[in-house]
Amino acid sequence: MIEFKDVHASYDAALPILKGVSFAVERGEFVAFVGTNGAGKSTTMRLVNGLLKPDSGQVLVDGVPTTELKTSEFARTVGFLFQNPDRQICCNTVREELLFGFKALGMEGPEADARVDALIEDFGFDPNEDPFLMNRGARQLLALASIVVLAPPVVVLDEPTTGLDYRECVKVMDIVGRMHEGGATVIMVCHDMEVVADYAERCIVMSDGAVVDDGPTFEVLRNRATLERASLVPPQIVDVSLELTRLVPRLAGTAVAKANTVDEMAAAIVAASVGSVDEGGRR
Amino acid sequence: MSAFLEYVPGASPLHRMNPVAKLGAAALFAIACFCTSNLVFLAVLLVVGFALAASCGMVRQTIGLAKAVFAFSLILAIVQILTTPAGAVLVQLPWGYIGTGSLLAALTTVVRLVAAAIPLFLVFYVTKMNDVTNAVVKVLHVPYKYAFTFTSTIHFIPVFMNDMAGIMEAQTARGVEFDAGGIVKKVRLMVPLCVPLLVSSVRKTNSAAIAAEVRGFNLRTAASGYKEYPFAALDVAALAGSVVLVAVAVALGVLL
Amino acid sequence: MIEIKDFAFQYREGTRPVVSGINLTIPDGAFVGITGAAGSGKSTLTYALNGIVPHCYPGDFYGSVVVDGLDTCETALTDLSRVVGSVCQDVDSQFVTSVVEDEVLYGLENFAVPRDQMEGRVAQALADMGIPDLRDRVISSLSGGQKQKVAIASILAMRPKVLVLDEPTAELDPASSRSVFELLAAYAREHGTTVVVVEQKIALLSQYADLLVIVDEGRIRFADAPADVLEHADELKRIGVNCPRSTTLMNRLRASGAYAGPAVRTVQEACEALVEVVA
Repeated sequence: MIEFKDVHASYDAALPILKGVSFAVERGEFVAFVGTNGAGKSTTMRLVNGLLKPDSGQVLVDGVPTTELKTSEFARTVGFLFQNPDRQICCNTVREELLFGFKALGMEGPEADARVDALIEDFGFDPNEDPFLMNRGARQLLALASIVVLAPPVVVLDEPTTGLDYRECVKVMDIVGRMHEGGATVIMVCHDMEVVADYAERCIVMSDGAVVDDGPTFEVLRNRATLERASLVPPQIVDVSLELTRLVPRLAGTAVAKANTVDEMAAAIVAASVGSVDEGGRR
Repeated sequence: MSAFLEYVPGASPLHRMNPVAKLGAAALFAIACFCTSNLVFLAVLLVVGFALAASCGMVRQTIGLAKAVFAFSLILAIVQILTTPAGAVLVQLPWGYIGTGSLLAALTTVVRLVAAAIPLFLVFYVTKMNDVTNAVVKVLHVPYKYAFTFTSTIHFIPVFMNDMAGIMEAQTARGVEFDAGGIVKKVRLMVPLCVPLLVSSVRKTNSAAIAAEVRGFNLRTAASGYKEYPFAALDVAALAGSVVLVAVAVALGVLL
Repeated sequence: MIEIKDFAFQYREGTRPVVSGINLTIPDGAFVGITGAAGSGKSTLTYALNGIVPHCYPGDFYGSVVVDGLDTCETALTDLSRVVGSVCQDVDSQFVTSVVEDEVLYGLENFAVPRDQMEGRVAQALADMGIPDLRDRVISSLSGGQKQKVAIASILAMRPKVLVLDEPTAELDPASSRSVFELLAAYAREHGTTVVVVEQKIALLSQYADLLVIVDEGRIRFADAPADVLEHADELKRIGVNCPRSTTLMNRLRASGAYAGPAVRTVQEACEALVEVVA
């Protein structure tokens, strides 16, 4: 479990970034943090594994304050995918890169080899390929794979889909989804509201160093007032749902007002257009 | 927070001085430090350095810098202590001895290096690299290409240091123990990371070169700069003052 | 006007052409969006416009690319850059100075713009990007969105006829991304500048571009008004380009017979159409 208790944090004492952040993430949750650049999302991520220590307040990982352990000791518990895979990748072949985490954690051995080989097979990697010659999407996938192979109970992702095209984005997020199904706690920062809508169960909205909303993803994404406060726009189908029920008041309470996906909305619209005559008659 | 060697905006007299005068005066100041072994004079120069830093609000950065130079000069100082037998014997060594003179010599080295470094580094904190380039081109008629290459190199130092910090952070998060053990261990861990740093550096400098080229880098002449860099009274005074410092340093050496 | 005829290019170290059979005419003042999957050749296409190909990356260049009467292959890069302004993908390495004002001045000084015009151009470019208050700021202290605007302003100050941008909003949040597009579109409208922008965010391109170009495996698959391109949602998805969800929704409704109008580009258009559908 990860718990933030009134956390204040900064890189420079004169410029506070987090101004009293509190939340708790239970084991096995999939939480997305949304907000503009500078809202404090990445800083929050760096506090989770102790890369940054709080100025005041506490960050607890499984009950242990991050101030009590070295950051490198959190690597077993928290896998961290950085926005830029180039900072993470440092080996000359894909296989070495995947083994690197085991080495750093002192877990080398036949089991590590077996897990790496199984993953190479699963991901369809060429074990001898030079990561520096791979394109951005493939490098991001490799950086993610080097975390997947260690199977940490908590995964932190800082904008995992930035700079990727649609197919690469789906590939990366499906792997994250699989880790979550396998029981991992996933905490992610994401600017793409469609990705948040598709994958996250819970959504935390940040603005100016504070949490302004926190709840089940679609409840949060339907709260236009808090989203606006954080300069965010809901995912398109939610936006359509909100806007359409505003323009056509009789749709409030129908499936249109609840539809979150293309499928749900298409069905809801068809039902509403068929039913419009009856309902009109009733009125 | 500003990075190492990165310009910090301000309006102090040092900020406003002519870049060429600043560079020249700082160089002369450093020469003065190396022209004398008079510990009192060096201490005065050190105090002057800190006074300059205080005048432009750069004390915090200067203390940081002084610490770094101090650590580096300490290595030289230790070598000097062990290899310069002079003065009253304090500790007998198989090949000589450590004397009061050895300690004095070592102290002189440390003070000299720190004192010489401060104004030079201050120049980078209070002067925009762009102004250095332009002023050197305008005032000293150095070809733009060379001036730009030099200042770009310096411009990239904080960028690369930031990259290195990012890489180390990413590796710490993977369990590499950058946050434990001494400097030797840290350096040993850093060596393999030079590859990713180099790759990103080459990429960056390559795209920087292209970006400069499509913005007409080749066309620049001494006449085309927008800003003028005239010498003001303060600039002349600073240069003259620095020349006096060198003269005093030499004179002290001759007289004492 | 930009005219690309039978253009193909193979990088010297490559084994096959990254783009080929490219024919495209871009009228003056058009706002062109280019997208496609990673590695589709969309960046190379913009390199051909600003002369980075073949001047900076050597290779085999076939066909011709003519921008405002200049053949990019035969014109020196510096002469070409008087006409075509380029904003790089990695703005951090584009910056040559540490302060915003100097950055915007840089190109003007190089191109020897008369002194008495410089001040006006700097002020205008910063105003055009909505950042006059950032003039004296140190660049490294700015946010990603602000840096992107500085990078664009420093090119706009040179008053190029054509502006080429490579993924300008890749690292930005939705609000900053929208703001960059908003400012670009307004600038282009006002000055008649041709804007060519490569971008992954198809929702933004669909909303702001007049001409949407989809590149797939080195070839132009579609080049048309966004609404017309978005008709082909299934084909787009197959080549790795995902339509905005509001477009997908309306295309779905059309397939089921509930909607008969054209493809929509934005949530607003979808809502307008849906009000009719449920009426």
